[in-house]
Amino acid sequence: MSNASHLRIEGLTKLYGATAAVEDVNLDVAQGEMLVLLGPSGCGKTTTLRLVAGFVAATRGRILVEGKDYASLPPYQREMGMVFQSYALFPHLTVAQNVTFGLRMRKLPKAEIDTRLEQTLDMVKLTTMADRYPRQLSGGQQQRVALARALAIRPKVLLLDEPLSNLDANLRQSVAREIRQLQRAAGLTALMVTHDQNEAMTMADRLVLMNEGRVQQVGTQEELYEQPLNPFVARFIGHSNLVAGDLVEADSLRLPGGAVMKLARRYAQRGPHVLALRPERVRLHGEGDVAPPRATATVEDGTYVGGHVDYLLAFEGGASLALHEPTGATGGTRRARGERVALTWDAQNERLFDPNGAIVTAAEA
Amino acid sequence: MSAPPETAATLPRAAIPGSPGTVAALTAVTRLLVFVGIALMLIPLLMTAYMSLFADGVVTFPPSGYTLSWYGRLAEFPKFGQSLSTSLRVAAMATLCSLLIGVPASIALVRYSFPGRGVLNVLLLSPLTVPGVVIGLGLYVLMVDVEIRTQFPLIGSDWVLILAHLLITTPWVVRLCVANLVQLDRSIEEAAANLGASPGRVLWSVTLPMMRQGIVAAALFAFIVSFENIEMTLFLISPGMITFPISVLQYLEYRFDPLVASVVVVQTAVIAALLLAIDRYVKLSKVV
Repeated sequence: MSNASHLRIEGLTKLYGATAAVEDVNLDVAQGEMLVLLGPSGCGKTTTLRLVAGFVAATRGRILVEGKDYASLPPYQREMGMVFQSYALFPHLTVAQNVTFGLRMRKLPKAEIDTRLEQTLDMVKLTTMADRYPRQLSGGQQQRVALARALAIRPKVLLLDEPLSNLDANLRQSVAREIRQLQRAAGLTALMVTHDQNEAMTMADRLVLMNEGRVQQVGTQEELYEQPLNPFVARFIGHSNLVAGDLVEADSLRLPGGAVMKLARRYAQRGPHVLALRPERVRLHGEGDVAPPRATATVEDGTYVGGHVDYLLAFEGGASLALHEPTGATGGTRRARGERVALTWDAQNERLFDPNGAIVTAAEA
Repeated sequence: MSAPPETAATLPRAAIPGSPGTVAALTAVTRLLVFVGIALMLIPLLMTAYMSLFADGVVTFPPSGYTLSWYGRLAEFPKFGQSLSTSLRVAAMATLCSLLIGVPASIALVRYSFPGRGVLNVLLLSPLTVPGVVIGLGLYVLMVDVEIRTQFPLIGSDWVLILAHLLITTPWVVRLCVANLVQLDRSIEEAAANLGASPGRVLWSVTLPMMRQGIVAAALFAFIVSFENIEMTLFLISPGMITFPISVLQYLEYRFDPLVASVVVVQTAVIAALLLAIDRYVKLSKVV
């Protein structure tokens, strides 16, 4: 990957006083790849994007595009096209003037500007809107102007800051698809920031999950979902249950209330650990229907949401677990509150972390 | 109020916020307040115009007759014309200079952080907190002192008036431009930089055009503040160099005839014409 990397971020750090907004971020983005930075608010994803754009000066680190370090250049020399969350269109300029702004700043010949304007407007299907002002356009159209303006300069890297968050919910999907299509067609290397997991999953070639200024995990959708590297990733992507307990035997996790889970794998470690289980990867059975179960619990609450029933289970002693049972398997019935149930899961769906958040691998299957 | 009586009996309509009765009452009150407001603003103007038509040499009510002759006699008092032109000249220059100071200052205050920013902010607004009479007296004493030491005549020069008026117009320009700037989306300027505009280009092609409405509002306020100022200006005039409000004041010290009313009507017309001319370029209703 590193040989093919088009945008490379090395040791990028931004300190505000003693606090790090972004700490030691290392990323490789291949030519034409869409890398999506995801994380809760304040995790440093937007600061990372603004560092790459040059709006924030990096404390340390390098930002390499095609091998050239851009970290110390001012934003107007970085040749990166950015689409802002608020679109940031120039209110006093027409659509055409907005789109050609970057070209005029580059002092391109008039003929070249006209050709690119035509091409770009055609790409975003706004040819008929060229003479309108931004305030005369709908949100979706403004978004397309912002995209066209960034694409017109033929940037080395496309930066997208929450590009869908200001759109109506029903527009988001089609705009997401459109952005993706344009980015692919232009073969553009892109870095996008979002807090919305669905959006990230839809748009990304690969995802970067950040928390507290640090990269937690980089990988494809499958990698982040199936092989979370720490409890934060497990929880953030797909809302894993994090069950804290004591590993008292190779395959026994004792929960704080006294209930004991039989794990699918055997572990050499002992002491406090955290077990991550996805709600939809745990199977639910009637008590006594399966022997031996990995755990038994009581139904606290069940919400029928169509495709599955959303259960909240309680273990003896107070620990709880969220679980999804597909409605197809039960014929559409819902388990009653207070019903005793048995749980099972497969070995590959069990992720165990030590108290420091590091993954614990099984001693034997 | 054509609601069926049983509805009126079961629902205490006026007590429910947003019920038709309440809405109608609120609408009526709003209309009344708007009417009173407009009347309060227009009555002095209309009364002045009405007075300027009185035939009597001393303003009495009811007048014995009406005449347009006061307007004809304006030519006999060139002082009004001269002072009006002085006032317009001083106000225009004070406006221009305070924009040259205030617009860059407000950009610096809002967009950059530098040592002494808080002090500069207070300093630029502080003249508003000092009564005009005090500023005027202070400046007068300073001028006299400087004149004595340098033997250079200061009192009565345009520039002294303009500099003095800058003290009261600049705070308005800064205030209005700052208010305008803080509500502009910062990312628009970042977008310009991202597209390749150097800081100077960003300022010229994006920031200033976006500030247009704020700048026009600031210019308007600065002009009016300078034009109508009496208390500070009073200390800085000389026999040959007076401003329009002071010429009116001086005239009223000796006579109280409708001529003064006709002067004011003419002055109002001049200002109105100026505003209409500006309105052709910037919609003033959007600015103020």
